[in-house]
Amino acid sequence: MTERGEKLLGWTLLALPGAWLALTLARTPEPWLADWIAASGLWSARFLILALALTPLQRLFGNRRAIRLLLRHRRAIGVAAFCYTAAHVALYVVDMADWGAILGEAVIPSMLAGWGAMLAMLFPFLASSDAAMRLLGKGWKRVQRLAYPATLLTLVHWLLVHDGAGEALLHFLPLGLLQLARLHLHLTTTKKAIAT
Amino acid sequence: MTKTILAALGASLLLTLPASPAEATGKMRCDVAEADRQPLEKLTAKLAAEGWQVRKGKVDGGCYEVYATDPEGRRVEAYFDPQTFEKLLVSQRGKELFRAAGR
Repeated sequence: MTERGEKLLGWTLLALPGAWLALTLARTPEPWLADWIAASGLWSARFLILALALTPLQRLFGNRRAIRLLLRHRRAIGVAAFCYTAAHVALYVVDMADWGAILGEAVIPSMLAGWGAMLAMLFPFLASSDAAMRLLGKGWKRVQRLAYPATLLTLVHWLLVHDGAGEALLHFLPLGLLQLARLHLHLTTTKKAIAT
Repeated sequence: MTKTILAALGASLLLTLPASPAEATGKMRCDVAEADRQPLEKLTAKLAAEGWQVRKGKVDGGCYEVYATDPEGRRVEAYFDPQTFEKLLVSQRGKELFRAAGR
């Protein structure tokens, strides 16, 4: 497949859940927006988790084809994660329909974590273009690392705002384990390097 | 190996897809026989008279659960005893605002 074709396919796959959500929303006569707010947030978390799982997967399992393929499109996955967050926030604002009420509940821990997660994702998103990458040089990686606090805040937001922790942990536990394994690998190989 | 892990990750994500909100959330339990329940409409009318704007009402864990804007203008989720209409639990975005003694 050409690079262009691969990119197009990637974007299509990333947009698919969103298209489905938009379609079902448009076809529901009196939509209970909370359901679509939850679903858009869920997909944002999923893509964020996927983006951050790739490096540990590569460290643990080497340069496999599937991992290489996903790594090539990691920037797109991250951008998609932010787009689902933007939809999540837009739907929430429409549902609340009152800036005073939005500000009033923004200080509740769950919402504070949510807004923080959005902010932490906003900067990597704004710096996601090729031009920004060239402009920022080595600093680009540092900006992209905001994805880590964004992920933690997303987990906190989900745990506090949602019904029960099961689903949230089911999503974040694999990533947590992968990151731990990566850390373990890093520490043991550094020790070996020092010993020799 | 990688494929197995990726497949497992994918499967675990897909498993959570049809998360239906209709099931009991376990936030509150009411042991009231269905025959002893007062109609939900009566509760929403009572709440409206008290200054609540009820957006949705349903049964959760045997209790009546309403999504509403309370008289203070807060978007809340509240639980009531379906027989006595006693207020049991009120929370706003996961933060508990009220819990009846002993519940």
